[in-house]
Amino acid sequence: MRLLVVEDNAQLSQLLAKGLGIAGYETDLLATAAEARGALLTTSYAAVILDLGLPDGDGLAILRELRHRKDPTPVLVLTARGGLQDRVNGLRSGADDYLVKPFALEELVARLEAQLRRPGQQLGSSLHIANLEFDLRNRQASIDDQPQVLSSRETAVLELLMRSKGRVVSKKQVEDHIFGLAGDVASNAIEVYVHRLRKQLSDKGAKVQIHTIRGVGYLIAEEKRDPV
Amino acid sequence: MIRFKSIISRIVILHVIAVAITSILMSLALSWLLNRATINIHNDAMEEQAASVAHHLVARPDGSLALELPPDLQGLYSQPYGRYSYAVVDERGKTLFSSLKDNAPIFSVEPGAAAVQFLETHHSGAVISGASVRRAVGGKTVWVQAAEDMANRDVLIDDIVDDFYKNVGWITLPILLVLLVTDIAIFRRALRPLRQASEIAQQISPARTDVRLPVSEIPSEVRPLVSAINQALDRLDQGFRVQREFTADAAHELRTPLSILRTRVETLDDQRIAKALHLDIESMSRVVGQLLDIAELEAFTIDPTERADAQGVCAEVAESIAPLALEQGREIALLGVSTPVWVKGNAEMMKRAIRNLAENAIKHAPPETVVEFVVEESGTVKVLDRGPGIAPEERELIFQRFWRRDRNQQGSTGLGLSIVQRIVELHGASIAVENRVLGGAQFSLHFVAADKTA
Repeated sequence: MRLLVVEDNAQLSQLLAKGLGIAGYETDLLATAAEARGALLTTSYAAVILDLGLPDGDGLAILRELRHRKDPTPVLVLTARGGLQDRVNGLRSGADDYLVKPFALEELVARLEAQLRRPGQQLGSSLHIANLEFDLRNRQASIDDQPQVLSSRETAVLELLMRSKGRVVSKKQVEDHIFGLAGDVASNAIEVYVHRLRKQLSDKGAKVQIHTIRGVGYLIAEEKRDPV
Repeated sequence: MIRFKSIISRIVILHVIAVAITSILMSLALSWLLNRATINIHNDAMEEQAASVAHHLVARPDGSLALELPPDLQGLYSQPYGRYSYAVVDERGKTLFSSLKDNAPIFSVEPGAAAVQFLETHHSGAVISGASVRRAVGGKTVWVQAAEDMANRDVLIDDIVDDFYKNVGWITLPILLVLLVTDIAIFRRALRPLRQASEIAQQISPARTDVRLPVSEIPSEVRPLVSAINQALDRLDQGFRVQREFTADAAHELRTPLSILRTRVETLDDQRIAKALHLDIESMSRVVGQLLDIAELEAFTIDPTERADAQGVCAEVAESIAPLALEQGREIALLGVSTPVWVKGNAEMMKRAIRNLAENAIKHAPPETVVEFVVEESGTVKVLDRGPGIAPEERELIFQRFWRRDRNQQGSTGLGLSIVQRIVELHGASIAVENRVLGGAQFSLHFVAADKTA
């Protein structure tokens, strides 16, 4: 899968290419807005990693042009500008995500994958946490490569949690995902599904933990070994 | 010198003084004119009376003069009535006829006096005023005098003069007052552009330094002041821009090398060294981020009309910080109301403040404990932990920049709480620090509740 990295700092773009290479991505590196414009007109990329401060112009201008052409390529903006207004402007200009420097390469890859896994995007396959795998195509959960039988609602909860790996999924999001807009949801229904799912996963030896964050939502993470 | 606070009050006071002086002068002028008019009427009447008396002077064949007054005139000059009198005096000053009882002249006559004279004399305590008219009758020159005792003047004229103020003079005061009210209205109208400019000037804040006062509507007398203010605003704006640009430049210059460093470390082969370096970079990044936050806050103000949902803000912070907390073995819980709580403020800034409090709480909370966020209906947000708490003598110190209890503690900048403090100040909110009964610290942010309908 080929990504376009538009970053004027040569050292950083080389390092990004290296890091993204390890994660399994090929990258084209460009350093100016003019080159980026040309490349985006002729080549289709899986995603664009765009730095805002370019020597010959603002990265946001490229982003706006891209969106003006109705080009849906996911764009992840990298910037040193962490200011409040900058953040809002970036997202309003059509950025899919926004990372303020200095960022962790791991986070960049995770966010990139989140974008690539969105409907219509190119990353399909499966999600992994420890020995738990979730295949997005046939919505099948496996522990240690052993397919598991889960009810459709438990599967839906698990899919949502795994798609948001490392992030909290609010209770509201889970409700919307499972019940859609249809009717009333018993106040503890979600808790019941999460509880069942949690039990099944631990019974089957999955080394993952579903945390409840009271008043906020749920988060799935690799099981922490007892603190040494 | 009396100092007036407003132009209007200055105008009103000066105008009232002017009105008082004008009404006195006008009354004096009017009564003087009225007096002149009555004197003229009196003089004309006296001259006419003298002329009509002269009309009845007849020259006898012996050369002497006779006065044959008709009965109505005789009645007018009769002694008991006493108001009017006449006399006819010849060239030598001898009284030929007189209505006075001692046959005396009314006015002494000087030879060669003018044909018509208006004279005044005192006669047994009374003021006698009248006219002396020269006439030639039967080859003789005589002076016919007619006069009126001023003590017995015409009642009608007396009434008009006496009641002048009561009947006519008062009208000047209301006229002048109406003029005063009209003038105040005119001045208020003329000053309206200044008032509008003041309203615009109120919108100026570090966040809105682009506001300029309108010059076109301003009266030319005040325009130099308004222009000077606009120029001062230009310089101020420039200052803020420099500050903001510096913050942006500094952010770029510091964060890009940190990114390079971080990415380089993350792609190292030796994961053990990478992990150690990673922690160093992490704390360095935090310091840089917080310094830039402080720089940004220096040039930041909140639009007074802005409002935010404190509950939503807390939920977002709890959501974003939960993975970090879980990674470090602490739990997060969001308690209190679960419906929106609208307060005056900027959501992003509130998020930063609450996040700083939460990071602080996670850092000090023992493992396996819960860091709680509590949102109250009143607009209060509390962050509670089960850490060691804060000693009373440290409750002021913790908000100072770079203050740390333990200067060697890794990842602590001593900036977090000063950022919270600054954000609280910007919001007109307040912060309270307490220790919990069963141990731990409680930070309460009291935001100003916003209008629900706004």
